[in-house]
Amino acid sequence: MKEDLMDIICCPLDKQELELTVDERDGDDVIDGTLTCTECGERYPIEEGIPNLLPPDMRDDIPA
Amino acid sequence: MADDQATRRDVRDTYEEIADHFSKTREYAWPEVESFVESAGNVDLALDVGCGNGRHAELLATGAAEVLALDASRGLLLESRERLASLGDRVALVQGDAASLPLDDDSVGLAVYVATLHHLPRREDRRRSLDELARVLAPDGRALVSAWSTAHDRFDASADDAVGFDTTIDWTRPGDEVVPRFYHIYAPDEFREDVAASGLALVDFEISSGNCYAVVRPEGKRP
Repeated sequence: MKEDLMDIICCPLDKQELELTVDERDGDDVIDGTLTCTECGERYPIEEGIPNLLPPDMRDDIPA
Repeated sequence: MADDQATRRDVRDTYEEIADHFSKTREYAWPEVESFVESAGNVDLALDVGCGNGRHAELLATGAAEVLALDASRGLLLESRERLASLGDRVALVQGDAASLPLDDDSVGLAVYVATLHHLPRREDRRRSLDELARVLAPDGRALVSAWSTAHDRFDASADDAVGFDTTIDWTRPGDEVVPRFYHIYAPDEFREDVAASGLALVDFEISSGNCYAVVRPEGKRP
């Protein structure tokens, strides 16, 4: 994802701002990283350039 | 009862499983979506909720500086990435849920939410997704919402029914593997009722090819 996507995305749960941590980038492109909600602390992964902003109960890493 | 019911996560899993084959059978944009996008003016940011393989995001890019393509299925987003590669930086892909959009209020000028609403198993989630669409639309924003309906001739139900019904419709992959998909088939009156109960106001409504189509705007936002 382009870093300027940060201007419009937010936490799906409480709609608050996200903080970006970059693990791997290619120019403006964030390839791997984490988005953390500045309010509730929920973390969302960015993998292969695609941010996964599914609420936690729809993600793979949380047991149903 | 509640334990037997499909969840939004189940529906997502289904599409992860069939993404590659599904994508190959969804080559062309729907004419109803084409007319809507053609009649809308240019916008800075357009949104496709439930973008599938990106066919409608591609269409939105004709009138929008940037397009955000959102889907619950990562597999479908990867299909979209391939299809939309020529648009480069003008497209952003986001994995997300229609009923809890990860987007700021008033950020979207034009949106399509096509053939996706009917995949949300619970009525409260379907209504919540319409509220979410209203929330992210700019005050002068417009969206096209569609869902499969009882007006379709493949169903025994009638377009005059008060409410629709839940069903599963099988997807057959090459090699005859069958994958069931959850659908809520909307009665047209029920569809209008859900739109009316949400933060969206109806601008235009039609039934076409067995689908309900609503052109909507956010209610109570002043342009």
